[in-house]
Amino acid sequence: MKDISKSVEKIDAKEKISGRMKYVSDYKMDDMLYAKTVRSTQCHAKIKAIHLPELPKGYYTVDYRDIPGENFVKMIFEDWPVFAEETVNYIGEPILLVVGKDKAVIQSIIRDITIDYEPLKPTFEYTKSEVHYHYTKGNPKPIFDKHNQHIEYTYKTGYQEQAYIEPQGFIAYLEGERIVLEGSIQAPYYVKNAVVNTMACEADAIRVIQTTVGGAFGGKEEFPSVMGCQLAVAVHKIKQPIKLIYEREEDMEVTTKRHPSKIVMTAAIDSNQKIAGLHARVALDGGAYVGLSSVVLSRAMIAATNAYTIDHLDIEGDVYRTHTVPNGAFRGFGAPQMIFAIEMFMHHIAHTLKIDPFAFRMNHLAKQGDLTSTSGTFRDPILMPEMIKKACDISNYHEKVKTYSDPKVRKGIGMSWFFHGCGFTGSGEAKHINAKVKLKKDDQDVVHLLIAAVDMGQGAKTTLMKVASHVLEIPLSQIRYANPDTDEVPDSGPTVASRTAMIVGGLVARASKQLKAKWAKGKEVVVYEQYQQPDYVKWDEETFTGDAYPAYSWGVNIVEVEVDKATYEVDVKKCWSVYDIGKSLDDLVVLGQADGGAAQGIAYGYLEVMNHKDGKIQQKNMTDYIIPTAVDMAQTETHFIENPFALGPYGAKGAGELTLVGGAPAVALAIEMAINKHITKIPVTPEFIMELMQNDDR
Amino acid sequence: MVKHYLPSSFQEALEIKHQEDVMLIAGGTDLMVQHRTWSELPPQFDKPLLFLFNLAELKYIKKDANTLYIGSMTDLETLLYHNDTPPCLKDIIALMASPAIRYVCTLAGNIVNASPAADSLLALYALDAKLVLTSLKEERIVSIESFITGPRQTIIKSNEIIKEIQLPHQPFNRVHFKKIGGRKSDAISKLAFLGLANVNQDHQIDTFRIVLNAVAPTLIRLHETERTVEGLSLEAFKHQKDALLEAYNTAIKPIDDQRSNRTYRRQAALNLIRQFIETL
Ligand SMILES: Cc1cc2nc3c(=O)[nH]c(=O)nc-3n(C[C@H](O)[C@H](O)[C@H](O)COP(=O)(O)OP(=O)(O)OC[C@H]3O[C@@H](n4cnc5c(N)ncnc54)[C@H](O)[C@@H]3O)c2cc1C
Repeated sequence: MKDISKSVEKIDAKEKISGRMKYVSDYKMDDMLYAKTVRSTQCHAKIKAIHLPELPKGYYTVDYRDIPGENFVKMIFEDWPVFAEETVNYIGEPILLVVGKDKAVIQSIIRDITIDYEPLKPTFEYTKSEVHYHYTKGNPKPIFDKHNQHIEYTYKTGYQEQAYIEPQGFIAYLEGERIVLEGSIQAPYYVKNAVVNTMACEADAIRVIQTTVGGAFGGKEEFPSVMGCQLAVAVHKIKQPIKLIYEREEDMEVTTKRHPSKIVMTAAIDSNQKIAGLHARVALDGGAYVGLSSVVLSRAMIAATNAYTIDHLDIEGDVYRTHTVPNGAFRGFGAPQMIFAIEMFMHHIAHTLKIDPFAFRMNHLAKQGDLTSTSGTFRDPILMPEMIKKACDISNYHEKVKTYSDPKVRKGIGMSWFFHGCGFTGSGEAKHINAKVKLKKDDQDVVHLLIAAVDMGQGAKTTLMKVASHVLEIPLSQIRYANPDTDEVPDSGPTVASRTAMIVGGLVARASKQLKAKWAKGKEVVVYEQYQQPDYVKWDEETFTGDAYPAYSWGVNIVEVEVDKATYEVDVKKCWSVYDIGKSLDDLVVLGQADGGAAQGIAYGYLEVMNHKDGKIQQKNMTDYIIPTAVDMAQTETHFIENPFALGPYGAKGAGELTLVGGAPAVALAIEMAINKHITKIPVTPEFIMELMQNDDR
Repeated sequence: MVKHYLPSSFQEALEIKHQEDVMLIAGGTDLMVQHRTWSELPPQFDKPLLFLFNLAELKYIKKDANTLYIGSMTDLETLLYHNDTPPCLKDIIALMASPAIRYVCTLAGNIVNASPAADSLLALYALDAKLVLTSLKEERIVSIESFITGPRQTIIKSNEIIKEIQLPHQPFNRVHFKKIGGRKSDAISKLAFLGLANVNQDHQIDTFRIVLNAVAPTLIRLHETERTVEGLSLEAFKHQKDALLEAYNTAIKPIDDQRSNRTYRRQAALNLIRQFIETL
């Protein structure tokens, strides 16, 4: 049989490249109305009064009073209102929708709305903790007492915007009594469950259909539930189709972003110059509402030791509420912040101890059989030594370190090591998601994949269809995989957390096997599969102990830079990567993930700047929020090492997030070498480099 | 919908401009962005529009012994590849916007938009560009520096159209252009620097020019300072380094904004000036 890694033409390539593919903003319906959101201009205030102009016939406003059920968007933490009631907590918080046929009229109505506010004191600091987690491994207290050489550094990371090409959007309409929502989403069942809660209706009263997604990067995980709830309320009231599409600036200003963070790392060093114990305190800026920030926090905390084994840990973390736009899911989900911190910290410890950082890191590298940060076990082979050697060889890393360590040379090379836990953290998969898949063979012998997984450009349709095609030994042309519709597909979970290829793909492989066994030519056959946690995976949610993930993907990034002496600009020369994602389900698809991940991860480290001023986002269009162009993108050289995972389809593990999480530390370490200064904050902008170079201490 | 005119000749355009208060639109790459509204709605203009970009008679690049003449509707991509375009202007255009935008945007638009961060103005200031301002009854020629009076402010009159940009030929054998954008392509300048000089066979500096954008309300060019070094030998010139740096340091007044901050702009500008001086 053919090797599944061999690339095929991406299933949707022709339709997308030719421009024929329809996205939700292309949808039109008879009697369709448009909606636009009226938002808070205050970061924290009481709403004293809302003055509406007289509305022309056929124009409506929709606010919290129209909500049949509860006024919060059901996600993990139940604090995020569908519409603001008495107080607003961030600039851009939705207060009401104006709905009607003509956009120009809607705009003039909005211009005539005035809202009286009574300002309240805002918070922008890490002071108000909403979620606090803590876990330990081993016996950190006595270890810290015994080894009195403690090294401490504080690391800070900024916002990152997903910058998907297609902004957020939905169209909603009635089908009889039922409400149908079609939109650009990553998690059809998240939207459905949230809307059912807001509408206080039966589950089958809501139908959610995914439209072709033009990029998501986590930004369409939980945020669409907010819009979905608002639109369902509006359609319920007005009973006509309504379209709600965000403008680019609106999207950048009010939708969720990567959490800014502050991470304090303290290590107790033993007499062999090894880390005996590690203490980490993680602070995430949750923004105005917690949403799913707690899950981001746990992934960050669990990544505290990254690809290293440290026996004694004391890890604490908080999500802080601030009067800023709520932060949420973004490719990497807490790991990019933590991996930046720990990778820099390993170097900064080595510098402090005046020993070779490479040897110091090798001394701590995790091995098969070691206990993870949460005292689970790394059961599968860890090929990092081989991967590191390969990455060093192809980049000539050790030679370059020698040359570039000369303080007069403004070049640098940085290497990051990292892992990413595949699937939901902890008992998420088994307890909360419980993924189901359905395969149907119709009487024409065409096989339909009925799963909730979303292809948002990453190639899920291509890879999952290939899995079915390989197991069933039928051509791709005999397989269909429509955009998920909750009326047709069971809940196979959201398309997040590097779980789709490994977990949903694993279920598709199993279901295909079942279907193959039951195959009856010319007859309809339907099979189901459901996720089962492997017996050996044990997790205690309260104490953060056990196996946080069923499997881990691993990676090495090496980035070379040159820093301009006059302008402090960073020129990223090249990026070498070696990954263990188990087994590639399509070489070009995973290379796409690798190149895109490198671009986004490296840019997070040195290029992408977003900040707020008194709660107002300053970079709210693609002119001011700088993401790399093809010219900025370094040349990449990427290798995959096979290390099949028994429970993944053909051995596949996750690849989506892994390829992002190592970018920032690799580029920051390279810049650190080039300018000979410690870097403890990203993005490392020219402005920041100038500041560092004007300080004399290392 | 806003009313608009598509004149078939420059004369007709001048007549319309004479009779009615209309907004001129060349490539529209500034105007369409500035007047955008909700997607699917037309941009919002409070005046009728007069389209100039279709006027073939304003698309030309000509020269005589002393001067290069650029018709005001010549697009930047054409200028980028034209043999007679001064090298420093080519360097600048190559880093402006993206190819797609360059095909439809003009020098005239960049001039009248009068952004402190406009890039082509570096070359126009350094090369002593002159603008031909035409109205139905008159034509006047003004220097680029007298034309721009402040951020988004010019002396153009309500009945005038820029017909032509004139660049006197000047030899420069040292050209240093550096644009600092947020990234390598398709970026608005945090600041940009153009240094030009002509060093003769006797190692004397005949002409010396420095222009900076985005470090003051309008672009910075210090004529008096330039004159203090013109005629000096390279040797003597190097001794003027500190005085030069001091002059520019005093003249520039950068600000903090969403793209960068004042400290960086100042420091990077001075570094670029120093680098230029040291490599002459
Ligand atoms: C994506 C993007 C990237 C950009 N990048 C850059 C960049 O890197 N550097 C840079 O400097 N700019 C950049 N710009 C800005 C813009 O492209 C330039 O300023 C361009 O030169 C404007 O030319 P235009 O013909 O499109 O002007 P228009 O938008 O048509 O007009 C601009 C102004 O000039 C007036 N005008 C036009 N023609 C005449 C005339 N003949 N007589 C009198 N008045 C006239 C108009 O009334 C208007 O006030 C960018 C713009 C975009 C959209």
